[in-house]
Amino acid sequence: MSEQDTFTQLPLQMDPQTKAISSIGPSSRALTAELEALNNMHRSLLTLDTPFGFPPPPVPVHPKRSAMVTKFRDSGNDHFKKGKFPDAIKHYTLGLQAALSRPLWEPGQLCREEVTGLYSNRAQAHMGLRNWPQGAVDAEASVEAKKMGNAKAWWRRGKCLIEMGRLEEAKVWVKRGLEIESGEKDLMELMREIERRAGRAE
Amino acid sequence: MWSFDMDLMGLALPLAYAVVLATSLYTFSTVYRKRKAARAANLAPWFPTHLQRNVYLSLLHLEPQEKQPKVPNSVLRAALLRRAVEDIHRIIKIRTAKQACSTLLQRGSVGDDLWQRFQRAEKDMEEELRDVVMEANALGSNWGQIIFQSAHEIASNTTLRQRLEEIQAQTDAEKAWWEGQRAAIEKELLAGSDNDNTVSKGKSPAPKSATSDEEAVLVEAISTSTPAVSIPAIPATPAGLKKKKGKK
Repeated sequence: MSEQDTFTQLPLQMDPQTKAISSIGPSSRALTAELEALNNMHRSLLTLDTPFGFPPPPVPVHPKRSAMVTKFRDSGNDHFKKGKFPDAIKHYTLGLQAALSRPLWEPGQLCREEVTGLYSNRAQAHMGLRNWPQGAVDAEASVEAKKMGNAKAWWRRGKCLIEMGRLEEAKVWVKRGLEIESGEKDLMELMREIERRAGRAE
Repeated sequence: MWSFDMDLMGLALPLAYAVVLATSLYTFSTVYRKRKAARAANLAPWFPTHLQRNVYLSLLHLEPQEKQPKVPNSVLRAALLRRAVEDIHRIIKIRTAKQACSTLLQRGSVGDDLWQRFQRAEKDMEEELRDVVMEANALGSNWGQIIFQSAHEIASNTTLRQRLEEIQAQTDAEKAWWEGQRAAIEKELLAGSDNDNTVSKGKSPAPKSATSDEEAVLVEAISTSTPAVSIPAIPATPAGLKKKKGKK
């Protein structure tokens, strides 16, 4: 009757060795992409060490990976304080890799928290090296992961854009930041700087 | 006796009238209902085909053939999890659409068809969720209780990672653009004396650089081909000066 009672039998086959699923004959792009995602999901399920073979509930989280991420962030911070920016960037990058390779069924919120701090710190380290483009991109990524309560990252991208001379872009960005972090002192200061520079340009 | 006959004859006409009325009303209502049901069944579904569901059920019904062993449960679990993730996306879409849809219907901005399609999608969704929970329980003890929690996290994690990848993918283009900028600024500083010319030239394309990254790349291409035009030359000059000092 309704669609729930029927389904379309797709021409699928399985590799007996690898258990990889593929489709027989020509297939649409969506199906190919879906099967690839399925095989990836299968592989990550196989790495599970739970006795049942399905992902455990999101909480509690396995503490090992969080500890690793924290370690990388702390060592990155140490290098940053000593002014060794390239080393700091390296450690933050390692931390990011650890945080982003977290299994997908673990809490997304946790991943966001970790990633946002790491990107923001890496942006700061890039700014220390005057790598404005990388700093701008990292700060944007940090904001993407966490918009509220992330004034530092908003400020950092704004600053990088100013340094690259993209005042219009910086203005739009900082304005958006102020909509979310209204009354943030540093952001307001940055806005005034943009206006000052824009005024001087004219 | 005569009068009784008269009564029968007199009744025949109203009775015939009532019968005709009743039958015509009945036929009208049945035909109308049938047509309405047929139309509702023919309405386009709210969502496109549920690919993940088809994959899962196809795998479930895959016949073990020559040198084709039975599909292991781990693959079925992965397929079911993919299906649950797609269901999460659909639930979110339905929830966000519901408010808007009912408001539009009340105002008469959308037709009844749309509302019917929506309600059918909602009903199908409920059945789909029940089905997934049942399948999950069959594949692992009490998995049905947590499969949607996991699916929800997978959905949100996937979108976050996609966005971050998109943002990070800009890095190379941004770097290339900035290198071009820096070269242009340095050239301008070396030129030194005819600063006034470059400033006046630099003004017109300046807003361009501030729109999007694709355009930024484009602008960079322009600036390298015609080195005299340095785009945001005016504000960048002091920064460029500072930067040089910092490097030395």
